[in-house]
Amino acid sequence: MEAAPLSAPRYDDASVRRFITATVLWGIVGMLVGAILALQLAWAPANLGLPWTSFGRLRPLHTNAVIFAFTGNALFAGIYYSMQRLLKTRMWSDTLSSVHFWGWQAIIVLAAVTLPLGMTQGKEYAELIWPIDLLIAVVWLVFAANFFGTIAIRKVKHLYVALWFYMSMVITITVLHVVNNLALPATLTRSYPVYSGMTDALVQWWYGHNAVGFLLTTPILGLMYYFLPRAAQRPVFSYRLSIIHFWALVFLYIWAGPHHLLYSALPDWAQTVGMVFSLMLLAPSWGGMLNGLLTLRGAWDRLRTDPILKFWVAAITFYGMSTFEGPMMSIRAVNALSHFTDWTIAHVHAGALGWVGESVFAMLYYMAPQVWNRKLHSVSLATTHFWLATVGIVLYVVAMWTAGVTQGLMWRAFDEAGLLQYPNFVDTVRTLNPFYWIRLLGGLMYLGGIIVMAWNLYKTATSDSSNALEA
Amino acid sequence: MSPVTDAVAQSAQLGWVLGVMTVAFLTSFVGWTLWAWWPSNRERLDAAALLPLEESP
Repeated sequence: MEAAPLSAPRYDDASVRRFITATVLWGIVGMLVGAILALQLAWAPANLGLPWTSFGRLRPLHTNAVIFAFTGNALFAGIYYSMQRLLKTRMWSDTLSSVHFWGWQAIIVLAAVTLPLGMTQGKEYAELIWPIDLLIAVVWLVFAANFFGTIAIRKVKHLYVALWFYMSMVITITVLHVVNNLALPATLTRSYPVYSGMTDALVQWWYGHNAVGFLLTTPILGLMYYFLPRAAQRPVFSYRLSIIHFWALVFLYIWAGPHHLLYSALPDWAQTVGMVFSLMLLAPSWGGMLNGLLTLRGAWDRLRTDPILKFWVAAITFYGMSTFEGPMMSIRAVNALSHFTDWTIAHVHAGALGWVGESVFAMLYYMAPQVWNRKLHSVSLATTHFWLATVGIVLYVVAMWTAGVTQGLMWRAFDEAGLLQYPNFVDTVRTLNPFYWIRLLGGLMYLGGIIVMAWNLYKTATSDSSNALEA
Repeated sequence: MSPVTDAVAQSAQLGWVLGVMTVAFLTSFVGWTLWAWWPSNRERLDAAALLPLEESP
């Protein structure tokens, strides 16, 4: 389109390399902690009897590491890489890019120290204490300034749809983070939220659900709209559908949070709003899924040999499954069975490991050779990673689905006298134990896959110039 | 007013707000869809779809 010629060194790929490295390192840490937690649930002595290594303290470390460290760094890598190329301009400010990178890593290190020490706000996915929250706000605004500054100096007039998805993340996460973390500090490590009771819960789940929506869904969809056409070497199936996909998705997502509060003290009408908007989300979600899968029309044969396309197809398929399951789980009658059970754990991991994780791997295998200018060290190792990850997820998710439904049915079972058939909570825990071991096996396979990828990318980045892409 | 009539009045007002919002949002959705599929935009959007495929300079 209205592109001006530009030479390659004008892109800031150093930042992309840094974010990729951080993604891989934090990915290993986050998944390793996840595997430790899986072991603790299957075998309680793995808590070690210490407060710092107990499930309650390590669980937020796992979720924060995977969401904000692994996925966060991956998003930044993909956004820095793609937006420069889509806008044919270098990032607006190298200084802001550096401050963004090191600031984000500092936040992650602070989280890794404070969470095991038990310093928490007690809000799910917003556990970090107020001084770190302030740092997050500052670093995020640095990123936002660099992002919009780059758009302002762009050399391509049209903002490709991927950039709209990124924009929705930049704007919405700012609002979500600030509003949900409004609190009155009492000491350096303790604060009190400005909301109370049901209002606090509603704000928290408006944040929690949209953190999923605008950190784990919309930006990854944006990245899909850039990296999938690149990998498949053909344009997206329907660019027009992608525009409708974007507007419908961002409009509907923001209202769906109350489905986390069904059967709570939240007014009934608000619960219904959450449920109805969740059900409507199925339409744009599946529109996006079909747009992704149909982009491969005429290129399906390449799935046999190209691990990047394998990862994309698996990721988009998991996206379709999760976005069907989510709306179903928001229906009151289904939620009555699924809530508080391992079904929720299955749902979130199908999304996080399947959709987010496999999309990130597809991006990394595409970007790393480009930014290091080296051919991928081993395609067969990347394929091995794909199978480890995919079989690992299937084991994990099937085990947790079975465990969740079993758990829900046991909790609601009555005997002939109308009394609870399993009044002792331990009854369900003992029944679920074998599934917890299967979950651990699946998680270890997924972790093993990431370690294989780390080795593959390390060998790619450090190979000599005879292996250059443009030798 | 009694608490019951008060609640009914509030509910009626909320109904108006929800009705206006529904019409506004539906109109904007139909507007975006028409814009995306408007024949005169076809060429521009088809060209935009090719942006990721342009070789990295």
